[in-house]
Amino acid sequence: MIVSLECKKLKRTGFKAAFFGGGILAAAVPALNMAFRSEAYLSMDAPPVKILLNANWQMMAMLNVLLIVAGACILYHIEYADHAIRKMRTLPFSESAVFFGKTAVLVSACILLLAIEAASIFGCSVHWFGPAAGLYREILKNFGFFLLLMLPAILLSLAAASVCRNMWTALGTGVVCVFAATMIPAQNFALSLFPFALPFRTFSDLSGSAARNYAIAGAAETVGAAALAILILKIRRSFE
Amino acid sequence: MNIIETQNLTKTYGDFTAVSGISLHVPKGTVYGFLGPNGAGKSTTMKLFLGLTQPTGGSFVIDGKRFPGGRVQILKEVGSFIEAPAFYGNLTGEENLEIIRRILGLPRSSVADALELTGLTQHRRKLAKKYSIGMKQRLGLAGALIGRPPVLILDEPTNGLDPVGIHEIRSLIRSLPQQFGCTVFVSSHLLSEMELMADNIGILNHGRLLFEGTLDDLKSSAAAQGCPTGSLEDTFLAMIDADNRQRGGAR
Amino acid sequence: MNFASLIGVEWGKLRRSKIFLILVLATVILWTPSVLNSELNFGMQAEGISPENNFFIQGFLAMTWFLFPAVMIVITVLQIQTERTDHGILKMLSLPVRTTKLCMAKFAVLVLFAAIQILMSVGTYYISAAVASHIQSYDFLLPPLFVFREAGMIWASSIPMLAVFWLLAVCIQTPIFSIGTGLASIVPSVLMINTKAWFAYPMAYPFFVITSEYGRLAANFSTAEIDLIPWLPTAALITAACLTVSCLRFGQAERR
Repeated sequence: MIVSLECKKLKRTGFKAAFFGGGILAAAVPALNMAFRSEAYLSMDAPPVKILLNANWQMMAMLNVLLIVAGACILYHIEYADHAIRKMRTLPFSESAVFFGKTAVLVSACILLLAIEAASIFGCSVHWFGPAAGLYREILKNFGFFLLLMLPAILLSLAAASVCRNMWTALGTGVVCVFAATMIPAQNFALSLFPFALPFRTFSDLSGSAARNYAIAGAAETVGAAALAILILKIRRSFE
Repeated sequence: MNIIETQNLTKTYGDFTAVSGISLHVPKGTVYGFLGPNGAGKSTTMKLFLGLTQPTGGSFVIDGKRFPGGRVQILKEVGSFIEAPAFYGNLTGEENLEIIRRILGLPRSSVADALELTGLTQHRRKLAKKYSIGMKQRLGLAGALIGRPPVLILDEPTNGLDPVGIHEIRSLIRSLPQQFGCTVFVSSHLLSEMELMADNIGILNHGRLLFEGTLDDLKSSAAAQGCPTGSLEDTFLAMIDADNRQRGGAR
Repeated sequence: MNFASLIGVEWGKLRRSKIFLILVLATVILWTPSVLNSELNFGMQAEGISPENNFFIQGFLAMTWFLFPAVMIVITVLQIQTERTDHGILKMLSLPVRTTKLCMAKFAVLVLFAAIQILMSVGTYYISAAVASHIQSYDFLLPPLFVFREAGMIWASSIPMLAVFWLLAVCIQTPIFSIGTGLASIVPSVLMINTKAWFAYPMAYPFFVITSEYGRLAANFSTAEIDLIPWLPTAALITAACLTVSCLRFGQAERR
């Protein structure tokens, strides 16, 4: 029920359109890149999905993470803008239920985003590299991996947005986190586990064990971020 | 002499008419009560006076200045308080008034004067977002009264105040024409309040002006129309009801 | 009321906004990796750039490509939300000040914040360079005249970009669209600076200026040169168009 309520609250905020538009924009990145520089990529000796993701994922991931930050800000901005949160707090359900309802909405929006991007990678792959066996599986594995690695950033962005009454504070914090993620060298495993840096990793570019380590880290950070969010909500409640 | 005059002032939003060809006459140095139920068009009329919305038809003059050419000149002479109090929550009450003072080019003492007039002096250093509803209302009023402008446009100024606060603000408004020679155009849906405050009243319903004149004129007009005249509230309700029935019939 | 006083009023409205905390945090995150990885500056023989120039340019490249534009978007959100949260804008519109002047004063505050952010980066650069000099026993400090000239160039070249962000903030009422469009517009900068049409994309200007400087400082690394024609007329046209539309649209939603 809470998820459908959260969806209703988002009416006329442009949330769905923003994620749809963001997905289209991110999907356009590999298509345009191939349209202009196909010779450079076609001459590479690697699986098409790997070539396409290596060439475009950094930019696509950047758009995704920025959308997550902006989406999280809006999800809580609607609560704070006209003090709706005060009413929510007087209703018989916990604030963490609201938080996880919003998380479910943001995760669903990210699934839509990734689905559009996956369709684009699939289309580019078939159009420029020709049909290949196991393409579906490869794309599913990659995008499933992306979704898992996005979860910590989703939860932390929402946690920041839930704390900040003013949207710019949450947005500013998110922007600084995204920037910090772009500064982290991929070679440094420990640093690349920074939650906002995880969505930049690609499955096809990692060895089996490295991919497993990232997946474990992603799952662990998701649990940790959820626990942190609950703690933040509890602490804040006791201070109000 | 009328300080505010409108001629067939009209405002429509799509096919909805919020203000329908009203002609108001507000004499200088008086308190003019603008009465009407919720949604009658009171706030829209006041917003038109402040240039917060553009008229669809008709015109108005405030202190000899015609809109839209004299908008900035009009605003220099008008202190206003429209709908909910408008302020910056991250600033203190005093800092909020300081912004208005600087824009109006008033002396520094005017902030303390406005705070004093509205009883906010001891809360002046508190953040506006931490004010109670009544205090926010007072801050809005202070923003209108600052510099003691010749014309005051106040939209339901006693909303959210406790009985003591209502009495204080009402007495303040009542005293303004004598004290500072200003004209007050004040809206309300509370009849009892208007009876104690206003020299002249205008009654608005569904954007149309049903009556304009003094309270005595209202009583005689109501009696002529067969409406009860026992209390202003009864008269008002009967007039609104008659108008609503007439409008219903017309449909 | 004169324009300078109005800028003062607009500046005053942003008190207690915690924006400086975000600016400081951003600058610290920008320069800390440069200090930690300062030894990497000695391995740039292939590019042919001196360690001190590389230290400076890498930091400012990171700043201009994403951090600086993104923080500017955050400031537009701060400015717009400050007006909207408790309807302060309604009070402003009912005061005797022209909306055009009000809109331009807010833009001036944005431009001022851009200067502050750049100056903070310059200050942090000097602290970081001093620390790196101490760690590596090598003088990373560049002459202030050079550093401030570059800072001035970044600031001046960012004005058209700020005008676009201000236009987005004023014209797009739905916050997610104005924020999303702004942030999304930064991402392609890295592609745009490599195209011939870079001068038509204001979000790429500060990044282009620094990339171009990188090309000048690195003997073996060539980047596009800045051609003032058609850049300056295009930039002036974009700025004028964005500010004109912003001034016309400012406060329209509240005056319906």
